[in-house]
Amino acid sequence: MNTKNIEIVVAPREPHYVGDGFRVHNFIPSGYRLDMERMDPFILLDYNSPFYFPPSDKPRGVSVHPHRGFETVTIAYQGKVAHHDSSGNSGVIGEGDVQWMTAASGILHKEYHEEKFSREGGYFQMAQLWVNLPAKYKMSAPKYQGITNAQINKYQLKDNKGVIEVIAGNYRNIAGTASTFSPVNMFNVRLEEDGRADFSFPAAYNTALLVVAGKININGTQTVAENHFVLFENEGEDINIEASEKAIVLLLSGAPLNEPIAAQGPFVMNTREEIAQAIKDYNLGKFGYLEE
Amino acid sequence: MQNFTKYLKTKANIPEPEFQLLIKKVEFRNIEKGEVLLRPGEVCRHSFFVESGLLRSYTVDDSGKEHIIQFGSENWIVSDRSSTFFNEPSDLFIDAIEDTKVVLISSDFINEASEISSSFRNYNQIALQNHIRHQQKRINLLLSTNAERRYMNFIKLYPDLTLRVPQWMIASYLGITPESLSRVRKELAHKNFKPN
Repeated sequence: MNTKNIEIVVAPREPHYVGDGFRVHNFIPSGYRLDMERMDPFILLDYNSPFYFPPSDKPRGVSVHPHRGFETVTIAYQGKVAHHDSSGNSGVIGEGDVQWMTAASGILHKEYHEEKFSREGGYFQMAQLWVNLPAKYKMSAPKYQGITNAQINKYQLKDNKGVIEVIAGNYRNIAGTASTFSPVNMFNVRLEEDGRADFSFPAAYNTALLVVAGKININGTQTVAENHFVLFENEGEDINIEASEKAIVLLLSGAPLNEPIAAQGPFVMNTREEIAQAIKDYNLGKFGYLEE
Repeated sequence: MQNFTKYLKTKANIPEPEFQLLIKKVEFRNIEKGEVLLRPGEVCRHSFFVESGLLRSYTVDDSGKEHIIQFGSENWIVSDRSSTFFNEPSDLFIDAIEDTKVVLISSDFINEASEISSSFRNYNQIALQNHIRHQQKRINLLLSTNAERRYMNFIKLYPDLTLRVPQWMIASYLGITPESLSRVRKELAHKNFKPN
């Protein structure tokens, strides 16, 4: 065992609204010590902790906006989101589903609560991550992977103590369902009470987790409560997670790209000039068109 | 106040000793999104230098419709100069579209700065001429050009505002309907979008 220790546990910040449909705690990049360079290639994490949205005839959400230079990954835990983009992709993601959108050279999209969910109201819980793209892929063609929960490859723990959903990367020879442009591990770790699982990632990978539900103990040393974020040191490789009570953990580990980051609003590139170009291209309609 | 310091030192070219005197005479304020800095009927006592964030000035017509006169993002100055100069009630609202840090510049400050620094006096003169030029161009654009030309001019003047303000505000600034703005953007996309 070469234990990977905790560097810091970060409590959720005050939530803010993205559009009117996502009430999120931002961890990356505004959390203490969770800036883009430190968390590379994970450059944003917004977490909508369980929140009740009352019924509404007009679906809440975020209207048309652009992205360039990275991928957005939306992981649904409760509630349903409908998505449309300028490449003609659309879909609904519900509990347990994942949407992996590669904005790359540029895309317009909009995200709203799904109509029926919106009409009936209900608890909403989701995470959205931005995964940075290596410089050489930033201007490649956009891509869309709508992944239902049934399609996600899973590793069953012994004695029905839980399941590891391998969204991306690899866990004990179970390959992740989503394809990625750089080494990224992204797992939903679902543990029953007393369920435990071991993980191993290269020391240099930036590794972190979010306790989405329940309470866990890490490496037998520290208990971490719901809605808290854990950043691991870039030393050691092995992590043990044990559920003190039934838990869901979003576990992330990725090879840092170690490339310069220039970020403004919905664009993440390598230089200021590329950001200015992105703004110009967006204003001139080079991202295409999407009806509001 | 990094931007305001840069504005006084670099743009207005004020030497360090004068700068130390002048900087004491301005007031800094944090304005929350939605907070109103000026209302019609009030005399505008300050120019607002935007350190960070975004202000707008606008009027509201008899039917309640808003007409945006100016946006002011980082390094812009938003004000009603004529209300200040002639000491008359303003027609304008000035409010914050984002949480904004502003520097309040009073007439006294302008007068004192002009007295102690000739470079500031010159700079203020140029700023005033620039303001008039900008207003003239804007009147001409509103009277004589179509929606596309207005939009093209807008994205040159305010490149990142399309990402920061809702469509209806841009349409209001351009004097067109939101539908016309959508049409212009759709036509541009049709012309310029090349899928890779």
